[in-house]
Amino acid sequence: MIRSAQERLTSRVSVPLLVFLVLLLVYGAVLVQSATSGFTAGSAMFRRQLLGMGIGLIPLAVAWGMDYTKLKGWLGPLVLLDALLIISPRIPGLGYSAGGATSWLAFGGIRLFQPSEPAKLVTIVVMAAVISQYKGRLQKPADVFRVAAYLMLPVGLILLQPDLGTGLVFIAIALGMLLVGGLQARWFALFGVVMILAGILVFALPSEYGGLKEYQRNRLLVFIDNEVDPRGAGYNLAQSKIAIGSGGLTGKGLGSGTQSNLNFLPERHTDFIFAVLGEETGFAGTMLLLALYLGLLVTALEIATSSRDLFGSLIAAGVISMWTFQVMINAGMNLGIMPITGIPLPFMSFGSSFMVTNLGATGMLLSVWARRYGAR
Amino acid sequence: MSTFGQQLKPRFGALGLIVLLVLGTLAIRLWSMQVLSGDEYAALAENNRIREYTLDAQRGRILDRNGIPLVTNRPSMAVAVSPSAKDDSELLLALSTLLDMPAQEIQDRVGSVREEALKPRVVAIDVPMDVISFLAENEARFPGVAVQTIAVREYPQGVLGAHLLGYTGEISEEQLQDAELEGYLLGDIVGKTGAEHEFETVLQGDRGYQRLEVDATGSPRRIIEQVDPIPGRDIILTIDAEVQAVTENALRAALEEAHADDFDAAKAGAAVAIDIQTGEILAMASLPGYDPELFLGGISQTEWAKLTDKDSEYPLTNRAISAQYPPASTFKVVTGLAGLQYGVTSEWATYYCPGKWTEMGEQWPKWCWKHAGHRNISFHSGVEESCDTVFYEIGYEFYKQGDEKLQGFARQFGLGEPLGIDLPGEVGGRVPDAAWKADYNENYPEYIKWLPGDTVNIAIGQGDLLVTPLQVASVYAGIANGGNVMQPHILSAVLGSDGEAVLTAESKVVHDVEVSDENLSVMRRALVAVTDTGTGSGAFRGFDVAVAGKTGTAEVSGKDDYAWFAAYAPANAPRYAVSVVIEQGGHGGSVAGPAAREILAALLGLPVEHVQATDISR
Repeated sequence: MIRSAQERLTSRVSVPLLVFLVLLLVYGAVLVQSATSGFTAGSAMFRRQLLGMGIGLIPLAVAWGMDYTKLKGWLGPLVLLDALLIISPRIPGLGYSAGGATSWLAFGGIRLFQPSEPAKLVTIVVMAAVISQYKGRLQKPADVFRVAAYLMLPVGLILLQPDLGTGLVFIAIALGMLLVGGLQARWFALFGVVMILAGILVFALPSEYGGLKEYQRNRLLVFIDNEVDPRGAGYNLAQSKIAIGSGGLTGKGLGSGTQSNLNFLPERHTDFIFAVLGEETGFAGTMLLLALYLGLLVTALEIATSSRDLFGSLIAAGVISMWTFQVMINAGMNLGIMPITGIPLPFMSFGSSFMVTNLGATGMLLSVWARRYGAR
Repeated sequence: MSTFGQQLKPRFGALGLIVLLVLGTLAIRLWSMQVLSGDEYAALAENNRIREYTLDAQRGRILDRNGIPLVTNRPSMAVAVSPSAKDDSELLLALSTLLDMPAQEIQDRVGSVREEALKPRVVAIDVPMDVISFLAENEARFPGVAVQTIAVREYPQGVLGAHLLGYTGEISEEQLQDAELEGYLLGDIVGKTGAEHEFETVLQGDRGYQRLEVDATGSPRRIIEQVDPIPGRDIILTIDAEVQAVTENALRAALEEAHADDFDAAKAGAAVAIDIQTGEILAMASLPGYDPELFLGGISQTEWAKLTDKDSEYPLTNRAISAQYPPASTFKVVTGLAGLQYGVTSEWATYYCPGKWTEMGEQWPKWCWKHAGHRNISFHSGVEESCDTVFYEIGYEFYKQGDEKLQGFARQFGLGEPLGIDLPGEVGGRVPDAAWKADYNENYPEYIKWLPGDTVNIAIGQGDLLVTPLQVASVYAGIANGGNVMQPHILSAVLGSDGEAVLTAESKVVHDVEVSDENLSVMRRALVAVTDTGTGSGAFRGFDVAVAGKTGTAEVSGKDDYAWFAAYAPANAPRYAVSVVIEQGGHGGSVAGPAAREILAALLGLPVEHVQATDISR
């Protein structure tokens, strides 16, 4: 079989994935620039975001170039790495506390990155390695419990931080992978029951016994009834909804959002950047973003189905689940249909650790795609 | 696609379905919020960022006819409290100590209006600087308390003309419903009485507003729109501040005079001075008076109680237009002119005054004030000496002729109804007739019938006849002005922003009395005789200008006599008419006459001096 150079290239490179990635990065950069322009350190923050994108190209290239299939044999060290990443901020001299959680790695008082972000990718690989061992049929309780144990290790550690939001991302990743990995429906049902019971338990228990903290409980109550506390916990939600709704069909123009620029919208460069998008670019802008996500995720699905092995499919499924869940929670909370949790919007929210991680995830997808015909 | 992928296809399908479900849900939600409800959210966003503040317009000044300021404005440091703070008892207590006013009163002032007024309510004005600084430094301890600089009314002439100028206060619920005051808001300061009330819409001006863009902390970012307030217009009154001052002093002196004459109950009085050709009011005074300053920033309840207590002599009442008295002998000009006009009497018609007049029958005797009787007396002298018998005879004749001609003639002067002066609260007095009596005594059948004595009593200005001091002055002005009673008014002009008059009051005849010049001359000669040799001569001894006037001493049941004097001057070329009444002051010639003399002196530019006079007539 003779192939042209171009055909060879497309066989190694998923052009659609790169196109959607670039479009999302450009869109995100424009949005972060707009959202931070009102801050005194706005331009520095924008440069930092661009730097994050630049740094992110390294894990992207590394993951892309690496033969992902080799990772399967590194299960033990990967589990260890996962745990280390998550607990590293707890190591005296390394950690840095912000917002009630110790989730940063610091050196000499300067925050470097949040290790729980790359831990998401390590967890994807670990879970893919474990689940793929069952070759798409996961039904024996012993097997299920083994898989669950591998999941509960990082989740448990992350909940100790405490970081409920990231913990939920880990669980969502695992669920998507278990779906592809062949977990039987009854196990999903059982998992659903367990989650509901756990939810009731953490909501009912006082925080000193592992229950929700007051602000977390308020966020949930506000989610159930938007009008519960318009000056307190409901304020962020109300302002976010006003921002998005007031954008109308075409928005107020980039940099001209009144809700964001006059500080009515809190956390506008991170958790509520979707509201800035809604306010400044309107329905047209939000639809464009959803379309880009759709393109990215459909391409990722194609990569998952094209994988030469279950391991690769599971890695792709993990990345898809991670992105889908984050989009759902973040955009949903901006729109008032999901509880408020500190989960950012992929490729959009300000934050380098997050950006680097998502670029790394893209690299993993590219690696699966590039090796779909077998190792060369 | 690998065979392996084929095998897992349904699972990938499920994952894809989840992706579509998530993105689809978000899209539907966005459609609903941004497209369907976009306008509502846009309104909420506008509401977030835009604050509108009213800019109060400076109230117009009130000037006298010579441009002397009577009411102006001055800045005052005020403390205002938000309605949200009115139930904070600790805060109220602290404020109470600072502002030296009862906590209850602070609460009343803040809570005196409905909830819709969220803007802070002024509870105290002219707050001392040390208290202002304390409040500013301890802002956090006084949530909902604001220090504001507001404009308040200033009275450069003090209490001068308080009744006719009126006072201001916060707009009432009823006034808010008033169609004329459309656009007024709760908390607005409006004229409550007097000229302040009458010319409210001219004085008020148009409030401006400022639309600001604010950030989440409420700090202004920029001005979106500003409409400057249009200050209220200055108005010029017909009042002459100097004459007004003399008039008020004359009334005070008259009260002292009454006290010196052992009329200790004399506490109240009124006086009016009119330009006979234009109806312009040059002075209008009422005693006792009040201090309009008390109403600035809201009058305290104790002060209000003092001003409205039944033992207070009602100092807020403008007696010149709002009080009704029997005119007594000042009315004899009306009876006399009616008699002349209807041929009932003539200048030198002679009467016999026995002192005790029994024409209506022995059982209905009437007394002349001079019990010894004036004996043979002409109509002319009857006016000069204020002989009651002469007027009993005229009144009795009118009774016999029927048709209530005397009352009809009195009404031609505008008696019995308000003259329509441009001041609130004018009453019309009463010209009694048979129909009125029947109606008034509806429940007392024995008093329903109109009797000869009723007409006879009217003839000397007693009985059920009631007039205002303004009406009496207008009657004399009408006599001086050829029978034309001019519309009395206090507004001279409204000034534009350049200080030029944009509106000037016009003089108009409000009542045209059917009386011949000849008969008017007869009456004028008699009125000059009153001040020359008659009952008013003591009061006008040595006065450089001839005055046509008439004394009056009204009998009021259960009270000491009310002293009256009405006049116009100069007698040969009349310009001004005045009336003076002193409640329970005794005799007109001795108490009211000297006051009228002082007022006329001020009007005519003569030296103002107080004279002692004795008059025992009625």
